[in-house]
Amino acid sequence: MNSPFLEVKRLTKDFGGIRAINEVTFNIEKGEIVGLIGPNGAGKTTLVRLITGILKPTYGSVQFKGEEITGWPTWKIVNKGIVCTFQVVKPFRHLPVIANVMVSSLCPNAKKKGEWVKTVELRARDALEFCGIADLALELASVLSHGELKRLEIARAIGTFPELLLLDEPFGGLNPAETTLLANSLKRLNKGGRFGRLHSEEITMVVVEHKLSDLMKIVNRVIVIDHGEIITIGSPEEVVKDPRVIKAYVGREVFKGVS
Amino acid sequence: MSTRAYVYSVYQWLNVKIFAIPGRVIALLFFAFLFIVPFITANKYLIYTLSMTCIFAIFATSWDFLSGYCGQINLGHGVFFAVGGYIASMLSAHFHLSPWLTISIGSLIAAIAGLIVTLPALRLRGFYLSLVTLSFPIISHGIVLAFADYTGGEVGLYGVSPLTTSGTTSYYIIVLIMLFSVFFMYKFTDLESKFIRVGIIIYAIREDEITARASGINTTRYKFLVFFISSFFAGIAGALYAHTITVVGPSTLEVMFSFQPILWTIFGSIGTIYGPVAGVFLLYPFMEFLQIWGATEHIRYIIFALMLICFMLFMPEGVTIWVRDKIEVTCQRCKKINIMTRSYCRICNGPLHLRKEESEDL
Ligand SMILES: Nc1ncnc2c1ncn2[C@@H]1O[C@H](COP(=O)(O)OP(=O)(O)OP(=O)(O)O)[C@@H](O)[C@H]1O
Ligand SMILES: [Mg+2]
Repeated sequence: MNSPFLEVKRLTKDFGGIRAINEVTFNIEKGEIVGLIGPNGAGKTTLVRLITGILKPTYGSVQFKGEEITGWPTWKIVNKGIVCTFQVVKPFRHLPVIANVMVSSLCPNAKKKGEWVKTVELRARDALEFCGIADLALELASVLSHGELKRLEIARAIGTFPELLLLDEPFGGLNPAETTLLANSLKRLNKGGRFGRLHSEEITMVVVEHKLSDLMKIVNRVIVIDHGEIITIGSPEEVVKDPRVIKAYVGREVFKGVS
Repeated sequence: MSTRAYVYSVYQWLNVKIFAIPGRVIALLFFAFLFIVPFITANKYLIYTLSMTCIFAIFATSWDFLSGYCGQINLGHGVFFAVGGYIASMLSAHFHLSPWLTISIGSLIAAIAGLIVTLPALRLRGFYLSLVTLSFPIISHGIVLAFADYTGGEVGLYGVSPLTTSGTTSYYIIVLIMLFSVFFMYKFTDLESKFIRVGIIIYAIREDEITARASGINTTRYKFLVFFISSFFAGIAGALYAHTITVVGPSTLEVMFSFQPILWTIFGSIGTIYGPVAGVFLLYPFMEFLQIWGATEHIRYIIFALMLICFMLFMPEGVTIWVRDKIEVTCQRCKKINIMTRSYCRICNGPLHLRKEESEDL
């Protein structure tokens, strides 16, 4: 069978009378890093939430590895291999940082795929190390800064051993140096290989981001949406020259430093 | 291994796991106290009161497990107690089964009742759930009256056989069941436990259900589990209660009865599992002794309320947390618990009593 890795078909979401996502259709192939960009309120977060089942679509379908996952509960989708991070961080604030990641390392998918790693603590610690916050492992999540919480989100997500990682503004709250560091880490995670005991098999990624200059360096393809509709899909070079995209972003300086 | 080496290793284990942590020493002394009471006194009434205290300690702990630790505030916890009590009583009075069977069946049916109550808990949160749970004892009260032939109706069901013929034996059985129940629930909620990994997940679900689900956790299943365990232990308490006072009546379904575990738990520190045990052991015998000393029910309630208010004013987080903060200190570096009198951590040797500014640098 030759079905795409992730296939989104005519996905639509209404909030009351407002159509936040309108008949969005696209495919994602295995091993890609896809950028998802668009002006504020375009519907990027909504799209990510629809794919991971946090929101239920009005109609339309999502297929993952040939299987219909529309309407599945979130935890089931996560155990199938799709996990997302939250744009507005939602950690377990009264738990230590390491415990935050241990929760996701305890999900059935992580248990199955990571059973050769001796303990859950080690698995969780690897995810923290990958995101560069292993030194804060024992602190409560509530004492972390915003940038650290963003990285904790990513650690929590990769703790579940995903195949498809949906990152909602992962660079938010990071300074330029940290952003470059994290961008490189994501690139490595995508290439696959071993990081300590953390074993990655070419994690496919969708990255939602406003810092386009950093984003464009790591992505293979970019999906641009505005008002809940896809404007264009193409390589980073094509997209930044596209007049429709420039029109959507008119008056913004987001393309500074790109291409 | 020679006996001597074995004894030494046990001693070392005790040293590290128990004697180094003041809270655990107190718990150990408390267990020892419960076990030697029958040797000190032969007073039947005292033993009986302590048995009842242990039963209510199980009941209060099961409420704390469900509502304090897991955050599903249940205002009708008495319903599980009553289900356990009534089922055990009916099996004992009508079918003359042995207490072992009646208690097992009673608590299992209470646990099944817990699973039914989970259904609204899956959809409702916070106050809305609490309001719904408040209605369960009222519904059950109606059922008890409707089937008065079997349940004894308003007067209660008499003819329940006592647990054993000897009060002291019953007392030891109840103490053992209480210790086991509390230890089980404590371990179950222990974040650091290496064997049962559920505590951390349940805590996470209480903190943020959406994030827990987005981490691949089947929250529905864990909610069922939590209600099952909590109502199971409440059912055990109810069944033991029925076999101890040998009668069970609809008073267990009164609103005040469901509020008792809440008061005890808040008094002893909510969400700690050991707190409600302390709460019950401080409050329940005291109330009973007031009765012996001749206080009427109204006077007792007034004293009870005044005591609660005074204690809560000075110990807003409850008695056990107040005591814990006085005798224990957590190392800022390795997060291990130390006795207050140490100045350096027993594990990582880090300084324990830092001033605020210093601790922020660390
Ligand atoms: N829960 C909700 N109820 C009602 N409307 C919503 C809800 N969530 C999002 N919307 C609306 O849907 C639209 C898309 O929002 P979304 O958060 O997906 O945008 P976004 O592309 O992520 O924006 P940003 O770049 O600011 O993160 C917005 O107009 C928003 O107001
Ligand atoms: Mg967004």
